[in-house]
Amino acid sequence: MTKGTHTVSFTLNGEKQTFDTRPDEKLLTLLRREGYRGTKYGCGQGTCGACTVLLDGRATYACLLYAMQAEGRSVRTIESVGTFDNPGEFQKELVAAGAVQCGYCIPGMVMSATALMETEKDFEDEIVKEYMDGNLCRCTGYEKIWVALRKVLDRQAAEGNKPAAKKTSSKGAKNEQA
Amino acid sequence: MKLSEFIRPSSLAEARKTLRALGPKGMVLAGGTALHFMPGKTPVTAVDITGLGLSYIKQKGDYFSIGAATPLSDIQRYRGPRWAMHEICRRISTHQIRNVSTIGGNICRVFPWADLPVVLLAMDARMVVYSGKDKEIPADEYFSSQPARLFRDGDLLTAVKIPVLKAHHGFGSVKATRNATAFSLVTIAALLELKGGVIKSARVAAGSGIPFPQRLKPVEAALAGKEAVTAVFKEAAAAAGAAARWVGGEGMSADYIRQLAEVSILDALERAAEFARGRAE
Repeated sequence: MTKGTHTVSFTLNGEKQTFDTRPDEKLLTLLRREGYRGTKYGCGQGTCGACTVLLDGRATYACLLYAMQAEGRSVRTIESVGTFDNPGEFQKELVAAGAVQCGYCIPGMVMSATALMETEKDFEDEIVKEYMDGNLCRCTGYEKIWVALRKVLDRQAAEGNKPAAKKTSSKGAKNEQA
Repeated sequence: MKLSEFIRPSSLAEARKTLRALGPKGMVLAGGTALHFMPGKTPVTAVDITGLGLSYIKQKGDYFSIGAATPLSDIQRYRGPRWAMHEICRRISTHQIRNVSTIGGNICRVFPWADLPVVLLAMDARMVVYSGKDKEIPADEYFSSQPARLFRDGDLLTAVKIPVLKAHHGFGSVKATRNATAFSLVTIAALLELKGGVIKSARVAAGSGIPFPQRLKPVEAALAGKEAVTAVFKEAAAAAGAAARWVGGEGMSADYIRQLAEVSILDALERAAEFARGRAE
C-alpha cells in the first residue's frame, strides 16, 4: 500500500498504536499488513468468521469494519490469546481433541470463545452456541471443536465458582451450524 | 461502496449540516456492515454517527426508547417489563454482526429480507427523525415505502419508540430460515390484544417472501372480535394469500412461500396469545 491519507489510533493487544490508513481500508487489511497475520481473510463478506477480532471486548468481523471505525477503541487479535510456542488453554484443547484440520477457522473460533469466556458467567449450551454461531468450519463438522470448548468451559466453571453448564453434550453445536 | 473520506461529527446538528452539504456524496455510518455490500463506483464520504450518544435503551413511561445506533446484541440482551424485542434480534445474522449492526441501520434502508421492520410494524412503533427538531413517524407511515426517502436532506433517525406491552397484550414473532444464520424466507410478527378470551385487536405484519415488509390486513380482519383459539388462527392464516403478493426464489415456488407464511402466521399468533395469557418472562 502507498502511504495512507489518514491515520487511525487504537489500542492493539494492550498497546496504543497509530497507523496510516485510507478511509475505505478494512481493519482486516490493516492488521495483516502490520504483521498480525493470525487474523485470517476467509470469505471477506462477514460469513465465515476467520477474521474475528475483539472490538472493545466484543467479537467482530474485521472484514466488515473500516479501520477508521476502530479510532479510540480497543482491538484484540489472536496474537493476544496465544502463540505457537505459548498457546492458550482453548488452543491446547483443540489440538488435544484433534479439532484442527486445515486450521484456517481456528483463530476466529478462539476469538469468539475468548469473548464468551470473558463476558459470560454461565456457559449453558444455548449461550455457547450464540457466541459461536458466526464461525464456520468446513473440515471437522464442529464435533471436536465443541468437545474441546466444552472441556475448557466446564473446567473454568468448576474452578471459577461459575455455575456449571446444565447439559454437557458433545453434539450440541451440530445442527445449529450445519 | 468506496469511501473517499471519513468524518466524525461531534453533534447531531453538525452531522445533519454535513450530510445536507454532501447530498448524495454523503453516507451515514453506524455499524457500517451493509456499506461493504452497497453498489456504486462513486466514492462517498462516511459520516460516523456512533459518537453522538445514540446507543441506549431506556424505558420512559409507557414506551421503550432505543437509540438509532444501538447494536442488535444490546437489544437482544436487554430485559424490561414484558420486553419482546430480544427474540427476533437473537435470530438476526451472526454473533459478530449483531455486535456491530444497529437498529437504525436495519430500518433506514430496508432490505426485502429485513426482520426489524416487520416487528416494528406489528408493534406499532414510532420512529424519531431529527431535522433540526425531532419528529415522530408512526410505523405504518414510515414503512409505507423505502424509508431512505425521509433522509435525503441530511435528516437522521435518532430513536425508535416501542410501546410497553400492556397486561392483556401479547406479541409473537417467527422467522423461517434454511439454517440458523441464513436470511429470512418469511418473517411474521403478531401483536394481539385480548379481552377475556376474545381478540379485541390484532396487528400482523410480514417480511421476506414479499417485495417489501407490510401489514397483512385481511389476516387482521379475520381475527378481530373472534375467540383466541387455534381454529380461528388457522382461518386467519389462510387469508395470507389474499393479503400479499408472495414471491418464490432459491428453488422455492411462490405457493410454497405462501404456505410457509401461513404456518408461520399460525405459530406467531399462538405465541402472541400465550404471551398475552401471561407467559413467564
